[in-house]
Amino acid sequence: MTRPAVLEIRDLRTYFYSRAKEAFIRSVDGVSLAVAAGETLGVVGESGSGKSVTALSILSLVGGSPGVITGTIEFAGATGAGTARRNLLEDLGRYVRVSERDGRIVAVTKDEPGWRARVERALTGVRGKEIAMIFQNPKSSLNPFLTVGQQISEAIRLHTPVTDAGEAKQRAIDWLERVRMDSPRLRFDQYPDGLSGGMCQRAMIAMALASEPSLLIADEPTTGLDATIQSRVVALLAELKSEFGVTTLLISHDVRVVSRLADTVAVMYGGTVMEHGPARDVLAPGSEPKHPYTAALLASLPSAQTNGGRRTVDGRLPVIRGEVVDTMDVPRGCRFYARCDRVTEAIRARCLGQEPALATVAAGHRIRCHLYAGETCAETRPG
Amino acid sequence: MAARELALTALLLVGVSLVVFVILHLSPGDPFSVLLEGQGSGHAVSTSVREALGVPTTWYGRYLAWLGNMAHGNLGTSIRTGVPVASEIARAGPSTLYLTLGSLLVTLLLAVPVALYSTSRTAGALARALTLAVYLVSAVPVFWLGYVVIYLVIHRFGVFPLLSASAEPARHGWLYGLLPIVVLGVANGTVSEVTRHLRGEIGRVLTEDYIRTARAKGAPVWRHAFKEGFLLPMTEMIAAKIPFVIGGAIIVEQVFNWPGLGRMAWQAAQDRDFPVILGIALVAAAFVRLASLLRSVIYAGVNPRTATE
Amino acid sequence: MRRYREAAGEVAERPERSRWRAAALGDRAAVGYGLLVVGLVVISYVVGAAGWLPDDPSRMDMARLNAPPGAGHALGTDFLGRDILSRLIVGIQAYFLPGLLAVAISLALGAALGVTAGYRGGRAEALVTYLSNLVDAVPRLVLVLLVIAAFRADIYYVMLVVGITGAPAVASIIAGKIQFLRQKSFIEAAHVLGLPTRVIVLKHILWYNCAPLLIIQATLGMGEAILVETSLSYLGFGVQEPTPSWGNMVQAGANYFFHGKFWPSTAPALAILFTILGFHLLGDGLNNILESKSAS
Repeated sequence: MTRPAVLEIRDLRTYFYSRAKEAFIRSVDGVSLAVAAGETLGVVGESGSGKSVTALSILSLVGGSPGVITGTIEFAGATGAGTARRNLLEDLGRYVRVSERDGRIVAVTKDEPGWRARVERALTGVRGKEIAMIFQNPKSSLNPFLTVGQQISEAIRLHTPVTDAGEAKQRAIDWLERVRMDSPRLRFDQYPDGLSGGMCQRAMIAMALASEPSLLIADEPTTGLDATIQSRVVALLAELKSEFGVTTLLISHDVRVVSRLADTVAVMYGGTVMEHGPARDVLAPGSEPKHPYTAALLASLPSAQTNGGRRTVDGRLPVIRGEVVDTMDVPRGCRFYARCDRVTEAIRARCLGQEPALATVAAGHRIRCHLYAGETCAETRPG
Repeated sequence: MAARELALTALLLVGVSLVVFVILHLSPGDPFSVLLEGQGSGHAVSTSVREALGVPTTWYGRYLAWLGNMAHGNLGTSIRTGVPVASEIARAGPSTLYLTLGSLLVTLLLAVPVALYSTSRTAGALARALTLAVYLVSAVPVFWLGYVVIYLVIHRFGVFPLLSASAEPARHGWLYGLLPIVVLGVANGTVSEVTRHLRGEIGRVLTEDYIRTARAKGAPVWRHAFKEGFLLPMTEMIAAKIPFVIGGAIIVEQVFNWPGLGRMAWQAAQDRDFPVILGIALVAAAFVRLASLLRSVIYAGVNPRTATE
Repeated sequence: MRRYREAAGEVAERPERSRWRAAALGDRAAVGYGLLVVGLVVISYVVGAAGWLPDDPSRMDMARLNAPPGAGHALGTDFLGRDILSRLIVGIQAYFLPGLLAVAISLALGAALGVTAGYRGGRAEALVTYLSNLVDAVPRLVLVLLVIAAFRADIYYVMLVVGITGAPAVASIIAGKIQFLRQKSFIEAAHVLGLPTRVIVLKHILWYNCAPLLIIQATLGMGEAILVETSLSYLGFGVQEPTPSWGNMVQAGANYFFHGKFWPSTAPALAILFTILGFHLLGDGLNNILESKSAS
């Protein structure tokens, strides 16, 4: 990776507090990722793996108030001449006091108002302008009380030098055209209710790109759409990628969406990154080395063209057995241990007792698994 | 849309008249004949016709005759004063309208800041205290609050507001007009509900997906939340709470000797002067429906879903 | 500053906290206060009905008129030297049974209408909407005054009106709940299982799913009934002197109030205030707890 990173996340932790269970939900638990300029990083994983929360944490959009976000999110915006890097989470720690015992958080004291004010301050000029975001369920993500045009024009007038209403309208229509919206002039004056889900997502994309951001975060852009619309939205994103080359962080549970669009892939499970590397290495079926979870994820694809998509003897698709790991009660060892079918007796003790580190197995390809820890990890303490 | 609302209003007013008719029909002493006779005498042109025909004998005949008279703006004649009810209402109506709308404004001036403050993200102990205060205020008996205010005004400011408006010296006219409005606005019992509804709606709207989008794009949240989170619930509450404020006006007018419809209704209930109460009930219903119509208009103006239909 | 604390021990072994314990402190306090008020009202009603009073409510103590709370009279005396505490306790008789009647009518009528509307949909639903619009169109006190003018100032007639006019609100809440349940196809499932409609409606819909809503409505309805009764007796259409009711006690003390003797008017006013407050807080608190549960 020679290109500079636009976004670099290090050791991100986003915890929620469950009042009913008096426990912290470790939605994101030590995630490190980097998105290089011009590339698309795809984050893939089952629901509950923390990928969406990771995306929302970048802009501090996590809902549910007692969210605690720690770590660093370094963002290099293309501001003016140079690239000024700054940590979006800088000095957020001042508003939170965490008491730990045995390396586990036992209590958190949070200055909610101070935290909120700091977030608003730090992200002004970043939200929408430097980092734009599109969401799942486009129909409910657009304001039903404003026309599509008003919403796109708003982004243009907020974040680009254009302030004239007429010019903003022309630009908005241009953007609607660029996202292949049919009859953009007509759509400009329509309310989201009059549009289909696919058209709404096109409008969302137009709105996000209209402010010419340095980074686009696409959080499950195809979820909540009909299957045929999904593929069209993916095709659009692919076209826009080659056309504008926007740096993109793509979040999806759909391996096919990610493999179609991403240059680099991070596989998440239980709030942490399990495998991270070039898309062709990570998502190529049957290639070695590979994290057992990635392998299982690929094997459960119904597609016939992935010739490695193994089927079980009776012709049924293999599923990943067991339940997604409980992020409220993270195990001491490997998070995937309970569902892993590649545990060998040689490493079982380590799998149970010690969380594997992300070990580099090839250039730019890292895997969090004791199978590949080999020489990198010396001796282990008994479980 | 608008036509549907109007039809509904007409249907509701017919319903109200029917309910009222049934009550009078069931009541002892055949008050309905008295009512119809009263209408007859008030309707000078057809008096001779009416005298020739007499009061209709079938119940639907009576109901229709009454309805027909009302359609001409003839609400009958007060048993006590012999004056047509319509003109009595026209005389007292404006002061009640003034009292009702003014109080509603006071209620909103109390409820809105509390609601906005307690949904803001910095809300803490003060918000809880304010919420409790709002509940306390909503439970205060309006007549007792009236006493307290009157006492304070008499003894602290040397003003005696217990006069009817006509005899009021001009010097303290404004104060006289303000007191019952403030008292009714504070203690009409709806402040807590208005606050609760507003706060709930704002809170709900702030968790909507499109507000998250607004945040993500760096737009002011209030600009996106205003219509659904504030304008619509406000309209809703105003339309819904008007009947309660009118109910409270009956008591407050009594306490302050305010020459409005509420006092008139009270007096009429004392004298069993049902044509008057009947008229007031119908006028109040029409007023409430008018507020509902206004609400529908605002909804249609704001909400593209209904507007595009 | 807010503190969030991780409970000791493994999460998996931790039992789910009860709905009550998971509720916000404010809601728990509200419900607690409301229950206290309801308890006090019920006890006072029984005490008053049985005649176990601290003093004879009609005995005049001419030596002590308009006395503040103190020895002999725990809550002071009124303008005729009568014991206010005893009169407050007896005053509950004025609204207790009539209020219960109003609530019972609202709930029974409302449940019947609501189930019909929620079940049948279409016309029945439109009817409920129409009825609740109709009821909302006429201010309740105006309607009550009309009934008083047409019949007579009888509290049971009045409460009949209050009960009937309260029914559409209950109906639309129940109809809404049933529609919500239908979305989860739970009613269809019950039909498929061959349960008779009567059982589904009474047991599965009303008892299992609407009982909390009905309790909340009953609470709010009782508050409303008390408000109407005290307002009417204040206006002189309710219980007449010398029989005490909270409303006529406030009214009777009015003349003395303007001469600086606040207490005889204020004591019943505070009784009204704290009672109504209790019913409001109970209803809203229960509602909050219920909603937060369904939201999470």
